[in-house]
Parts: sequence; C-alpha cells; structure tokens
Amino acid sequence: MEMLALLRGLYAIWLRELTRATRDRAQLIGGVSRPLIWLLILGVGLNPYFRGEVYGEVRFVIPYTYLQFLFPAVIVLNIMYTSIQFAVSVIWDREFGFLREVLVSPMPRPLILLGKVLGGSTVAMIHGGLVLILARFADVTLSPLQIVQALGLMFVLAFGLTSFGVILAARVRSFEGFGVFSNTIILPLYFTSSSVFPLDPSLTRAQIVTAYPEWLVFMVQINPITYAVDALRGILITFNQFPSAMGSAVIFGMAVVFFVVALLDFRRA
Amino acid sequence: MTPARPHRWGRALLNIGAAACLLLGASLLPPDTSLNDRKASGVLKLCVPPSYPPLVTGKPDEPGYDIELARAIAGKLELRLLVNVLPSMGQDFNPRNWSLTRAQCDLVGGGVADTAQTRSFMQTLATGAETGWVIIGKSGAQLSKGDAVAVLPGTSGLDRIALSNWVRRAGLTARLAATPADLERLLTSSEVAAAITERYVAAQLSEGFSVGWLDPESFPVFPMAFGLWKGDQTLMRAVRQALHQLEREGMVSQLQDHYGVSRLGPG
Repeated sequence: MEMLALLRGLYAIWLRELTRATRDRAQLIGGVSRPLIWLLILGVGLNPYFRGEVYGEVRFVIPYTYLQFLFPAVIVLNIMYTSIQFAVSVIWDREFGFLREVLVSPMPRPLILLGKVLGGSTVAMIHGGLVLILARFADVTLSPLQIVQALGLMFVLAFGLTSFGVILAARVRSFEGFGVFSNTIILPLYFTSSSVFPLDPSLTRAQIVTAYPEWLVFMVQINPITYAVDALRGILITFNQFPSAMGSAVIFGMAVVFFVVALLDFRRA
Repeated sequence: MTPARPHRWGRALLNIGAAACLLLGASLLPPDTSLNDRKASGVLKLCVPPSYPPLVTGKPDEPGYDIELARAIAGKLELRLLVNVLPSMGQDFNPRNWSLTRAQCDLVGGGVADTAQTRSFMQTLATGAETGWVIIGKSGAQLSKGDAVAVLPGTSGLDRIALSNWVRRAGLTARLAATPADLERLLTSSEVAAAITERYVAAQLSEGFSVGWLDPESFPVFPMAFGLWKGDQTLMRAVRQALHQLEREGMVSQLQDHYGVSRLGPG
C-alpha cells in the first residue's frame, strides 16, 4: 500500500476512537467527576490535617500544600482510568465483529493497533488536560511551557497505559469481567504510587521505613506509576521525590514495552 | 427539505466544552475558610520578633518594612493589622521553640527566608527583600588559611551546615558570636579577621565595615517573605493579590527605598 493510503487508514482509526469517546457523555462525566471527587472532596477534606498549627513544626514534609501535592496525582488517575478503560472499546469491537472487519483490511496490524492506541491516548490526554482547569483551585500556577510539557508527558503516559489496556483486553473475554479486573488494577496502582502520601526525599531508606512499613515502601518504589506521578509533579509544582530524569525514562520505557507486548497480543488476535 | 447535518465535531466539542465549564465553575469555589474567618474577626495578626532591622525596627514612628507592608496589605483587605511582638522569636535555633501558633499569627514576618526548609511548614510570599550569608570585614582585608572568623548564624533559616562546611574547607577557625553587639566587638577588637552572618544582622552593625555576599557561587541569595500557614489558601490568594496591587501602585518600592531594604551593610 502507498504510504499516503496507510496514513489515511491510521488517521481514520484514530478519528473513530476519538469521535466515539468524545461523543460519549458517560465517559466525559467520569473524566469530570473523578477530579471533582478527589480534589474538591478528598483534597479539601484532608487539607486541614496537613496544615501547619505551630511554626517550625513539620507535619507534612513536602514544601507544598496537600492540594498542590495531590493535583498532579489526580491528573494521572484520570489518565489511568481513561486509558485502561479504553480496553472496553477493544472488547466491544471484538464482540460485535468490527475488529474482524478491520483486521481483514489491507492495513498492517501494527498500524491498526497504533491508530487505536493513539486514539485512546488522545482521549486520555484530553481527560488529563481537563484537570488542569482546576489548577487555580489547587493554587498551582502554570506557565504555557509547563502546560505544554505536562500535556506531552500525559500523552506518552496515556500511550503506555492504553497499550496496557489492550494487553488486558486480550486476556479478558467479557465486559463484566473487565470492569472488576480494571478496578483491581487501577486503584492499587494509584494508591501505591505515592499519590496521596509522600515519601520524603530528604530521608534515607532507613528513615523512611520508620514512617511507613517496609513492604509499603517497597511497593511504592517498584510501581511505575510512582515515577509517572513524580515526573508530573516535577513539571507542575517543581517537586521531585526521585531523580527528575527517572520519571520520564520510566514513562517512555513503559510506553515502548507495553506497546510491543500489545502488538504481540494483537497479532495473535 | 432535509435538516442540516450536524458538524462532525459539534457534539464532541459541546461535550468537552460542558465538562470544561463545569470544572471551571468548580475551580472558583473557595478551598478553605481562612479568608472568611479573618473577615469575620476584622483583624489580620502579624507575628514579628522585637527587632530585626530594617524589617522590624521596634520604633513606633518607623516600625519597619515588614510591618508597614503588612499594614498596607491589611488595608487592602479592609482588615485591621494587629502586630504581635514575640520575644521568643529568634531566641532558639529550632523555630518550634518560638511557640508561634495559628491562634497568635496569620502572618509571620521580620526575618522569614523563603527557603525549601521554611516552605516545608509554611507557605511563603516574597516581600521584595533578600537575604543570604554576608562577610564583614575591615575594608581591604583578605582572609587566609588559619584566620579566625566570627559567626552569628541569625534566625532566618539559612543553611548553617553548608556554612560550617565552607568555613572548614577554607581552613578558617570559627568563633561563635551570641549577638550583633558581640559580633561587632570581636571585629573592632581585631580578635577575628572577619565576620560571617545573615544579611540583615549585618545591617544592625555600626558604619565603617565593608560588607559583601559570601562566596556567591556556593551560597544562593534567598528572598525574604511573609509566612502563612499551610492550608490557608484563600487568605494566601488575597494577600498575594493585595501585594501585587501595592507593587503596581509603587508602594512597595517606596517602602524599600525608605527603609534601605536593598542596601547591603550597616544601615
């Protein structure tokens, strides 16, 4: 096939995913309700417990307020849900025969998958970007450069997680099964990503394990989402718990590895 | 006649626009009650040490840069400024022992440096003054290995560990001074070749010494700030807005000139 025709096919698949997701009000309601619940209710509800009462007292070791600390994590949560839920679209296409029709087209399978993953990533990035509207509420001041950098990082993260959603879809056969499965993956990954509590970067590992049990510290440190949240915090509130390049490296690595595995699964489909 | 076909992106844009509007509306909600509480009481409380010239002078007619700035901010917020002078401030290395509580202060001034350490327990709002380590000596004096230097760390939260490492690396002998007067006595009696202290402590010395920033490559200069309690977002926004308004009106630069806030050395 000609290069142009291939690109046109890729664009058509991307566009289909994008229009389908953005016309679906239920998905957008999810994209709005999550930041509202997490920032407005949980963030504001817990904020008084993380505020200072005595000068010099260190209750919350991060040089930011709890809302500022939570803000980048809520963006990652929104991306995680949208990306991984994207697998439903793959299951849907498989159930109703659309996937078969696309697979017998002259388009190479890697390009079909790329189109679908790019479509899912764009939708997830839009959902992550919507949270940026709440920056004023969380008292996070953003420059245009920070917004561009954050959207770029969100897109790469969404690409990796959407590919992960495709991997899940290849292993789950029903909508019902996927619903339960996705929640048992998203929430544990989110809660163990240092999203709602910080690991103080100024402390050594020996000091950290006096604050948290060692198994929890271990889970936080092996969770790739930890580094995604950290990279986004680095951009949005200039705070990193880990070396700043590490977050970007993990996100890029995750995107490549998950896409390759998804491709292997998709070829077998 | 067939009805006009809706635009391909019309529904999608409508949905995203509705979501964005909802979030925009939510972003206007106040995240806490700190400003409302101050408005209800009609008072903004500022905690300062008894003296930290030129930010706090202790003189009733010229109370100091921080106090006058806080008064102007309170005026913008239509509040009355209540200055709590707390002798405990600056008396101890550990600021926890200053016993400043939320009940006593809404703002903390008179020597708060905007460092990561300070920001771990307070929110800060830069006031236009700057601080850092300075070296004080008799004009033209050069330091050499083995010289004694008087050191008065001050209370603004500068990195003392980095300073002690620097003194050790330079092969100098440190002599701790207890007060600015003690520092001046050591300098004038030539018991030490030079003195190192925080910038506004140096401002309290008599004229006749040369003052310069200490090794600018090793020691950054930090903005001085008002400290606000972490979590008081609405009050922070209101104070920030008032401060920006005062900057635009030229009030901040007037006060800086009046108190010589940007002058390095004895004032």
